[in-house]
Amino acid sequence: MLIQCICAFLSTVGYCFIFNIPRRHLIPASFVGAAGWALYQYLTAQGESKIAACFAAACLVTALAELFSRICKDAAILFSIPGILPIVPGAGMYNTMRAFLARDLEQTAAVGYETILMAASIAVGLLVVSSLLRIVTAVASLVPTRTE
Amino acid sequence: MNIREKQIMLLALRAGELMLKNGAETARVEDTATRICHAFGIKEAEVFAMPTGIFITVNSPEDHAQVQTYVKRIKSSRIDLERISKINAFSRTLTKQPVSVEDAMQTLSHLSEDIQFAFVFRLLGAAMIASFFTVMFGGGLSDFFCSLIVGTLTYVFHSLLAKLQLNWFIEDFLACAVATTLTLTLTAIGIGRDIDPIIIGSIMIFLPGVAITNAVRDFLAGDTMAGLSRAAEAMLTAVSIAMGVILVFQLYSVSGGVL
Repeated sequence: MLIQCICAFLSTVGYCFIFNIPRRHLIPASFVGAAGWALYQYLTAQGESKIAACFAAACLVTALAELFSRICKDAAILFSIPGILPIVPGAGMYNTMRAFLARDLEQTAAVGYETILMAASIAVGLLVVSSLLRIVTAVASLVPTRTE
Repeated sequence: MNIREKQIMLLALRAGELMLKNGAETARVEDTATRICHAFGIKEAEVFAMPTGIFITVNSPEDHAQVQTYVKRIKSSRIDLERISKINAFSRTLTKQPVSVEDAMQTLSHLSEDIQFAFVFRLLGAAMIASFFTVMFGGGLSDFFCSLIVGTLTYVFHSLLAKLQLNWFIEDFLACAVATTLTLTLTAIGIGRDIDPIIIGSIMIFLPGVAITNAVRDFLAGDTMAGLSRAAEAMLTAVSIAMGVILVFQLYSVSGGVL
């Protein structure tokens, strides 16, 4: 598990290099990636479905990205893009192809379905947390004017 | 429409273009360009951005008969988050402390110069992604080194392809085909044992994570057109990666492992 986290951290560092993240954000951005992957691994090890794990990890990544964007005063995508990449279902896609090539249509359908739902659940996770945050900030911006 | 207003529009257009080219979501581009126009005192400015183009219309404050529109077609795009961050910060400082249009233009053209991590760094990044993902998906130590080589060579190949300015569909397709070929060759000569984690690691670099993230952000901002086109981009990228890998596997099995 620890090795998994370190690997996730270092591979997110790799994404930071490729996408040219400002150097001062390198560690927070990589931390977001490692945290997302750790949660995903933990949940799948607990017997949760990959889809639910992806959703939870995407939620965590978005929340952390928004948090770091507040702390470091920079755009949230600087943290969410490298953070989200480890949980994008590359392995699912690959396994779908392998099953397809092996003429195992049942397996292709099963794995392919799971992969598409994983990608969708990442999108939904991003959507849910950003929307919640919008509601919170909108409400928070109302409160001070009322108390004045 | 005087010269100054034209310059301001060009400034906003250039900033928007740079952001779109480097992978910003459209809402941020529109926001930045509008903010630049407002910062220089143009009240009536409308900006409409899509992943493939940007439109700016300005209504002259003195003469209401004068409406000016600029259109910029965005062709290539790659991802450079540092530049987005810098242009974003630049537009925010403009609203706080006014500078002359010429100075602002100069700052912007300075920002547009190549400030990417050196190629060596990006190569290192690609190698790290490939090799550590291989371990994350269950590869051993020899697989780690194998995908380190595959990831590096594939990224070099992909960068060379990008110089030819084909489209990204073909680039991803060919890069993944090369990654699969290299993996099969290297495992055949004994470097690396398990092909599955190595190939997964090598294709992780090309996965459309940015497109997925931006698609969602575009939808959330109400830019359904941009969101749909990014979502389509994500799907097409996934298909082209899959096709690249499938092609090589099929050739491999047809030729009986000679390849």
